[in-house]
Amino acid sequence: MATLNSRQAVGTAAGNRFMRKLRNALPWYLFIAPATLLLLTLMAYPLFDTLRLSLFKWGGLGPQTFVGVKNFSKLFGDEIFWRALGNSFIFAIVVPFFTVSIGLFLGVAISRRLKGWQVYRIAFFIPVMMSGVVVATLWANMFEFNHGLFNTVLRSIGLDGLAQNWLGDRNVALISVMLVPIWQSVGFPMIVLLAAIEGIPQEMHDAATMDGVNEWQRIWGLIVPLIKPVLASITMLSIIGAMKVFDIVLVMTKGGPAFSTQVLGYYLFETAFRSGYFGYGSAIAVVMFAVVFAIAYAYVRGVRIESVEY
Amino acid sequence: MAANRFSSRSPGGSVGGDRTLGWWAGSSLRPVIYGLLIVGALVQVYPIFFLLMNTLKTDTQILNTPFRLPTSFSMAPFIDVWTGDRTGMFFGRYFFNSVIVLAATLVLMLAISCLCGYAMARGQFPGSGTLHQALLLSLAVPAHALAIPLYFFIGSLGLRNSLFGLTLVYAALGAPFTIILMRAYFMHMPVELEEAARIDGCGRLGVFLRIVLPISRGPIAGMAIININWIWSELFFSLILMNKADVRTLPLAIALYKPAPMTVETVLGLQYAAMALATIPVLILFFLFQRQIASGMTMGAFK
Repeated sequence: MATLNSRQAVGTAAGNRFMRKLRNALPWYLFIAPATLLLLTLMAYPLFDTLRLSLFKWGGLGPQTFVGVKNFSKLFGDEIFWRALGNSFIFAIVVPFFTVSIGLFLGVAISRRLKGWQVYRIAFFIPVMMSGVVVATLWANMFEFNHGLFNTVLRSIGLDGLAQNWLGDRNVALISVMLVPIWQSVGFPMIVLLAAIEGIPQEMHDAATMDGVNEWQRIWGLIVPLIKPVLASITMLSIIGAMKVFDIVLVMTKGGPAFSTQVLGYYLFETAFRSGYFGYGSAIAVVMFAVVFAIAYAYVRGVRIESVEY
Repeated sequence: MAANRFSSRSPGGSVGGDRTLGWWAGSSLRPVIYGLLIVGALVQVYPIFFLLMNTLKTDTQILNTPFRLPTSFSMAPFIDVWTGDRTGMFFGRYFFNSVIVLAATLVLMLAISCLCGYAMARGQFPGSGTLHQALLLSLAVPAHALAIPLYFFIGSLGLRNSLFGLTLVYAALGAPFTIILMRAYFMHMPVELEEAARIDGCGRLGVFLRIVLPISRGPIAGMAIININWIWSELFFSLILMNKADVRTLPLAIALYKPAPMTVETVLGLQYAAMALATIPVLILFFLFQRQIASGMTMGAFK
């Protein structure tokens, strides 16, 4: 942009260059100003303030007392916290495992144009569009012990023994709750993987056909290796999404019974906004941030290493 | 940009019919696969059908004969939840709150994101690289980690219980992702038109407003569509920031609406009507913009 071809007036050239650069840059700073301002005040500042608050004891009003890492040492002795952390990890493993593998199966089936593929694509995608609260309320009603759909069906076909207190039994509740995000979000990996599979050039399929591969070999030898980066990215997105689960727990169980469905997001909410321990809540937020950030970072590093290998 | 490859491809349009021929033909797996797909599709669709059907039934019908179709069609449950006379929950109002927050968030977020993304794609200015890195990093920050300071900060601005306060938070949460995608789009947009306008004496902002924005309507609409879903469904910040009844958004109102069954004839039916109120607009949107939604979601995951 601002290139000086000749070096006349050496003394002022540097100053001129700087002024011209600034003049060129100024409009761009005005362009980025609104977004930067909003993100600095509503994202960067709160993030650092969370880190700061995690070192304080604070009830929301009155003075904040510096306590160092006491919140964290208390956290590591807090049984409910370990429960919440463990459940969040269970969520982050189980839910993506099912959504991504079912999504892959659906993506492959639909890309192969099985009869009725348009119907499957729509049927599996609709729940993705619904709001988490609605889905959770709907399933909570279906899981209800006395009159819910599941128990009514089981009892009407004589399987009373299988009727469960789906959300009230501490051995069953976590499984019931995890079914809901699986049901709701299988369509998301499906639609993304479908696009990736359709992006595979027809010639590669033709070449595989010439080689006389069977369908099983086509899936594992051709399709899956070619969509691997997308598969990795959708898995990471699903893991992070599952780590942040909140709506479903709030609506369906509030973390109960006996903390069997407690997760980080909900424990943070309860500690800070229900019990008023904002310093301790910030410590939970810091742990949650660290976990999600570490997963994302590991993914980014993993992808970079992988791309070097090729 | 990888996304272009997929957004320009209509799903299935380019696939020859011959692909289906070899698909597990003659294999015993074929009926199993079809069986799984059909059962799976029913499992996905039935609860939604159940939801819509229950809006028209009395509590007794919902609980005792869950599979029977409603006997009559009536708008009464919808009118009841909309006005709130019998429920004490004014869903008409919550619906409008949600619509206002959604519209305002989209306008604000898209405006600042387009400006910022455009500057990052076209401008050379110190800090541009840092900004990009910071935005990428911010994608890995869970919104929960911001909640406590945001609660107090929004409170100190006097914007708790204000739709505008919630809008600001949502716009900030959605902006990094939108900026990154808009930047990628602008980088791949040919620059000639803008240069011509510059030579004609148009300023940076003039070029942006008169040339760039009009030809970017498609991608901007695409960004709007993929953001609608989470804004419409967001619960966490609404729950924290909106404590007064009349500023609730739809998801919050539904989460707080806990009818005790069998007290009046149709309490559950009303709850289902409220849920349908939140769902039907999304379903309409889905059927109108199916392709754009799919390609938008895909675009997000490819980044």
